[in-house]
Amino acid sequence: MSAIIDPAALDRPNSYIGKSVPRPNLPKLVEGRGQYVDDVVLPRMVHVAFVRCPHAHALIKRIDAKDALAVPGVLRVFTGQDLAVVCDPWVAVLVHLAGMKSAPQYPLPLVRATWHGEAVVAVVADTRALAEDGVSRVLVDYDPLPAVADMETALAPGTPLIHPELGDNLCFQRINESGDVAAAFKAAHKIVEATFHTGRHTGVTLEPRSILADYNKGSGKLVVHHSTQAPHMMQGVFAKQLRMAEGDVRVICVDVGGSFGIKVHVYPDEVATVAIAKLMGRPVKFIADRLESFGSDIHARDHRIHGKMAVDAEGRITAIDIDDLTGIGPYSVYPRTSAIEGNQVINLVGGPYDFANYRAKTTVVLQNKTPTCQYRAVGHPIAVTVTEGLVDLAAEALGMDPITFRLKNLMRDDSYPRTSPAGMKFEGLSHIKSLGRLMDMIDYPALRAEQDAARAKGIYRGIGFAAFIELTNPSPFMYGIGGARISAQDGCSVRIDPDGSVVAATGVTEQGQGTEGIIRQIVAEAVGVAVGAVRVITGDTQNTPYGGGTWACRGAGIGGEAALQAGLATRAAALEVASAMLQAHADTLDIVDGNIVDRATAIIRMPLSELTRIVYFRGDTLPPGLPRELMQTRHFITKEYPFAFTNGIQACWLEVDVETGLIKLLKHWVVEDCGRIINPLLVDEQVRGGVVQGIGGALYEHCAYSPEGQLLVGSMADYLVPMAAEMPDIEVGHIETPTRESLLGAKGAGEAGTAGAPAAIMNAINDALRPLDAQVLAQPFSPERILQALGKVPMRG
Amino acid sequence: MDMTGEQKIAAPRQTVWLALNDAEVLRACIPGCTALEKTSDTEMTAAATLSVGPVKAKFTGNVTLSEIDAPTSYVISGQGSGGVAGFAKGSAKVVLADDGPDATLLTYTVKADVGGKIAQLGGRLIDQTAKKLAGEFFKSFSDVVGPHADDADEATVEKKKGFFKRLLGKA
Repeated sequence: MSAIIDPAALDRPNSYIGKSVPRPNLPKLVEGRGQYVDDVVLPRMVHVAFVRCPHAHALIKRIDAKDALAVPGVLRVFTGQDLAVVCDPWVAVLVHLAGMKSAPQYPLPLVRATWHGEAVVAVVADTRALAEDGVSRVLVDYDPLPAVADMETALAPGTPLIHPELGDNLCFQRINESGDVAAAFKAAHKIVEATFHTGRHTGVTLEPRSILADYNKGSGKLVVHHSTQAPHMMQGVFAKQLRMAEGDVRVICVDVGGSFGIKVHVYPDEVATVAIAKLMGRPVKFIADRLESFGSDIHARDHRIHGKMAVDAEGRITAIDIDDLTGIGPYSVYPRTSAIEGNQVINLVGGPYDFANYRAKTTVVLQNKTPTCQYRAVGHPIAVTVTEGLVDLAAEALGMDPITFRLKNLMRDDSYPRTSPAGMKFEGLSHIKSLGRLMDMIDYPALRAEQDAARAKGIYRGIGFAAFIELTNPSPFMYGIGGARISAQDGCSVRIDPDGSVVAATGVTEQGQGTEGIIRQIVAEAVGVAVGAVRVITGDTQNTPYGGGTWACRGAGIGGEAALQAGLATRAAALEVASAMLQAHADTLDIVDGNIVDRATAIIRMPLSELTRIVYFRGDTLPPGLPRELMQTRHFITKEYPFAFTNGIQACWLEVDVETGLIKLLKHWVVEDCGRIINPLLVDEQVRGGVVQGIGGALYEHCAYSPEGQLLVGSMADYLVPMAAEMPDIEVGHIETPTRESLLGAKGAGEAGTAGAPAAIMNAINDALRPLDAQVLAQPFSPERILQALGKVPMRG
Repeated sequence: MDMTGEQKIAAPRQTVWLALNDAEVLRACIPGCTALEKTSDTEMTAAATLSVGPVKAKFTGNVTLSEIDAPTSYVISGQGSGGVAGFAKGSAKVVLADDGPDATLLTYTVKADVGGKIAQLGGRLIDQTAKKLAGEFFKSFSDVVGPHADDADEATVEKKKGFFKRLLGKA
């Protein structure tokens, strides 16, 4: 543990940590001068498009590519067998998830296709359009097989097995238990119970999945331009699957147009693209279109959860018992696995509350639908929906106000460090302070008065709350201990160039969220230069220290601390040279605004550029033994806690039109504690963006399937996402409880909004509908479901 | 999707039944059908162009007649592949009943499924598309088989003439 930065010490020139500094890449991006994978054009480049399976489950009997190869411009057609010659299959399991199983997955399937949308044949042509012409002429003779579409019956006797060699359709099951749940329910004053559904949805990145693989047969080197969150991880994956040395693979991602977890997984069509590049010895590009994205980008959150809560006569929670079921598609997704979401649910339920008896079971089953995996706020929105849904039901059963009930049950701010009944270790949280801050922001009595007045006029408004915890700054306990080569540490190299400017190369990556901005702020402050004097390099395995990239809210907390330490070390190195040049003790000197200054008087002794001139061009004038490395690298990993938890609370104020079932969001509030805030502007935008993604899952987004396993969404016309008109004003407040694991004290902020928004919306809808004796528990809360709850339209079978 | 309906046809049951078993009549009446050839008494190969929502594709496949109870009912089922657009399959149970001496009441129960791109892009439109196609089929069928030719256009009259001629020839 280290001392934490005193904010007062930051109030000086080049003090950027904690300030809303605009990010450096904005002008480039708004002028359309970013460089996404599709902007990269290489000589001899060809394009690949994929024939995708129209069935949920089918035997591939015969593939006839004759007509496709006759299309002018079509160069090659590849089947699963062709690619298996150069590419090994992968199996996505983690050894710390005991008993987990999945089947080997190839870039293209060899015998059977197992979901609607799975790539089956690859067609390579001079242009994407010609490749699609070729795709339309490939004849695949399928023998349709019975599909496992309903997760509820995936384990039932008589249900076909997706991978017979696994013995059943069970991927993973775990029970997380502590205390005496049975006794607590027996002694309960009141028990509330409900079944929740969180709808299957996906990430919808503005830039679709994109990859350009360039294998040079002469040098034996592979360069992959990839829209990814984790270039170093992908470097290892490509090397391993294609039987190459890791050093012969370089992954570059310059700009990424949104990722949200979608782009941290290994996709068979992307690996196929790389394998084809190796086979053809030419650069091969694959850019997913929107139609194929819906059936091949990972989906998430397909859960059914039975939940039960026991409370005593004083209104204290005594026990929670949940049974979670999730369908993940035919394969667990490599290398993070598709069991983590369910595992997170049973680790996070009940997270903010002080209670003793807990039992939670997750059952993760295989099915013939698009594979699911980690998507923004993995498991959190599900766990928060169940917890906060039960909390509201319990408050109602007790006749207590939901705020009074929460205040009674939330963990006290002075009770840390502590461990939750689910086994999560908390270093320091601020639930009570956060709730207090929220009350200051919303004027609760006024909202209730407004609600009553509206009801009298037949207008149904509701207010809903959702307290939450969020897992950030993950240690190797998340994936590394399970055997996955997913790095929880991250590094940063900081160097001062001859002109006195600073370059920072970091292992964390820029996805459009502003990573480069915060790294620049931290390094500028740590070295002592103006923020404009720092350039940041991300997303290149050949030029950045090895790191994990962007996932689980780790960029600021892990990458930021590495940058801070590297910057401070570089400043110390420069001051050691300055000390020799100025005949002054290094402790009496400082670097401020690009100048070496006297620490006590702030008098400028010389510009930093003079120091670099001497170091780089007149090193002969310095004492022979003097260290002069104006480049320092530091890596950081958390050690004391498996995760740095953050916390917060959200409130949603909305109106339900009981005639149409439409919901109008009137206002949303978030109070969030992400530890040290590096850039308030970026943190608020992360929170707001997260809330909007939560609104999507709660109200609109749904990867609908037919009972036969046919995906029924293919365009933005039938997969609805929240647009500007659907977004309410989102007011964000902060509490800062820095982590003491790092000097910087930052935790993550990217997922909190998504974690809590669906639950706050659900509780607000049910608050609005309470006088009508109706409630909704299945997301998305579509007009149809609202009207069904009101008994105005029939339930569908 | 499932769909049921009925259609009154101004022709005796035997006439309707024979028309229902006539590949030429079916070809003329199935919307978008470009080819329909009998390969046996109960099997046909077919080609049809079908649009569901934004997807339009040529489907080729087989049509089979089963559960035949002449001249009262049969099940007509078909499945076709539209290549990259996906697949369509469906079956219809067709039952005929006398509706007086010169008219027949035809009731049908249709089960239809589409898959692939056509389901992804047109899935939400499949119910209305199927209803529209069924409506078009029975309108054409009733025009071809029924006696009132006054308001029919020339082509329909031609179809009808051909049908009755062959009917007479067979008798």
